[in-house]
Amino acid sequence: MSGEAAIATHGLSKRYGEVLAVDALDLTVRRGEVYGFLGRNGAGKTTTIRMLLGLIRPSAGDVEVLGRRMRPGECEVLGRVGYLVESAAAYPNLTVRENLEVQRRLTGAPRAAVGEAVELMRLESCADRRAGVLSLGNRQRLSLARALLHHPDLLILDEPANALDPAGIVEVRELLRSLAREHGVTVFMSSHILAEVTHLADRIGIVHDGRLLEELDREQLREKERLYVAVRASQPERAAALLAAAGYDRIEQAAGQLRVFGAEDHTADVARTLVGAGLDLNELTAVHEDLEAHFLRLTGSVR
Amino acid sequence: MTFTRVLATEFLKLHRRRVTWLSLAALSLGPLAVALFMWIVREPGRARQLGLLGSKADLAGISATWPSFFSMLAMIVGMGGLLLLAFIVAFIFAREYVEGTAKNLLALPVGRHWIVLAKLAVAGVWWAALVVAVVIETLLIGLAMALPGFSWAVAGGGARDVVVVAAVVFMLAPVVAWIATLARGYLAPLGFALAMLVLAQVFGKTGWGPWFPWSIVASFVGSVGGRVAPVATESFVVVLLAFVAGIAATIAQLRYADSAQ
Repeated sequence: MSGEAAIATHGLSKRYGEVLAVDALDLTVRRGEVYGFLGRNGAGKTTTIRMLLGLIRPSAGDVEVLGRRMRPGECEVLGRVGYLVESAAAYPNLTVRENLEVQRRLTGAPRAAVGEAVELMRLESCADRRAGVLSLGNRQRLSLARALLHHPDLLILDEPANALDPAGIVEVRELLRSLAREHGVTVFMSSHILAEVTHLADRIGIVHDGRLLEELDREQLREKERLYVAVRASQPERAAALLAAAGYDRIEQAAGQLRVFGAEDHTADVARTLVGAGLDLNELTAVHEDLEAHFLRLTGSVR
Repeated sequence: MTFTRVLATEFLKLHRRRVTWLSLAALSLGPLAVALFMWIVREPGRARQLGLLGSKADLAGISATWPSFFSMLAMIVGMGGLLLLAFIVAFIFAREYVEGTAKNLLALPVGRHWIVLAKLAVAGVWWAALVVAVVIETLLIGLAMALPGFSWAVAGGGARDVVVVAAVVFMLAPVVAWIATLARGYLAPLGFALAMLVLAQVFGKTGWGPWFPWSIVASFVGSVGGRVAPVATESFVVVLLAFVAGIAATIAQLRYADSAQ
């Protein structure tokens, strides 16, 4: 394994009876990068995260975290990892500060770390309130504070923006960006919210049915933003040939629709070409396709 | 040292939990009930006048004396304690799953065996505090009732028996801890403890008592057959084996089982 990798999985699989939750996942997260792990609910994101943290054992394959093979209770590595797994959980009878104190003692962080974490996640107003009476958003902040408290080298965050309000989402995004850019912290974050990931991630892995379908870096992400004209006409094959003859050389066909690239500013010309040839034109739409459309198409949510 | 850090956090986790006071209230009802029985035995006329003694009352075997009081306390700590300590252990271990914090706890840079040992230590301290409290309560009630024949030798002997019973009860707690981590909830360990109380009677009455840990407690306090004291060496070995096996199973459960909750 490369010493530059913060996380590397090799053929990582997890099976629960008949269900293959994670299927031969090969993943590499470089040190200092923000990696977005994108997938629909039930895609295998949380199961993968639990395996990264040694909470569950892989059925096959292995996990390396910060250069060490991860096994349950791998203390040396876990001391350098901050994490948030699934829902935000805390001891309901303890205050925010006391919950962080539990984390501080068990990670061996200095005493000042609790106050710093409270300040960092803007929990001052509820620091002495019991976690059981916190709003969902503040409980999520508490979980993030817990993850950050001991200044980890690697953050593994499962849906970190859950329950946060829009301002909170931006705040957390800026915080994670700053940790990655200024302090070299590696961030591995799962999400099913594309905007959250695309705003922050250096690379994105799209997972579906437990399999990694695609990995994209920022450049490739930009390329996924496409402009085209969607055309539905009678005789699609003939329509495609007519448009190609008219000089539109990038045409894709999908589900009876023609996608004509480079025609966004020439919709009238496209219409004239097809109608002039006697075809019935049923749809003519300029489309701006972003990662969301790409994601939905890739995961089979839309055709 | 890792253990002391984990132990300190385990004590912190009990902060503001009413369950600690509820457990004290539950166990301290025992000596009060015994005291009431003793008063009835001593003052049957007044008890009948107050309606405390029904026509079918059966208080045979209870006498208003110090040895009887401590003998009853040993039974309360033994049989009641098996249930109450199961409740305490179930709370300490299963709450991490019920409150969703197990996933946080098990990914911390702390050996999982320390977590098990610290939780058992907290259960031990909690249990010891309850036992000390009811022994003191018993002494105070007995003195207030002016039970005859008090001497420090009698009190010391009675208290020693209660402490031995409490220690044997505690040695069965790790098995309950294992059930709690296996089932990841409160009901299974409590159900297990109830089932063991029933089996204790079954094994005790069929002659296998000295080999079944829960029957050993029952035999020692006289809840099944005649009271057996001192406890046979092989019974202590059985209890010790249950203690070690319970700890090993709980550690193995946390270390090797998937934590998908």
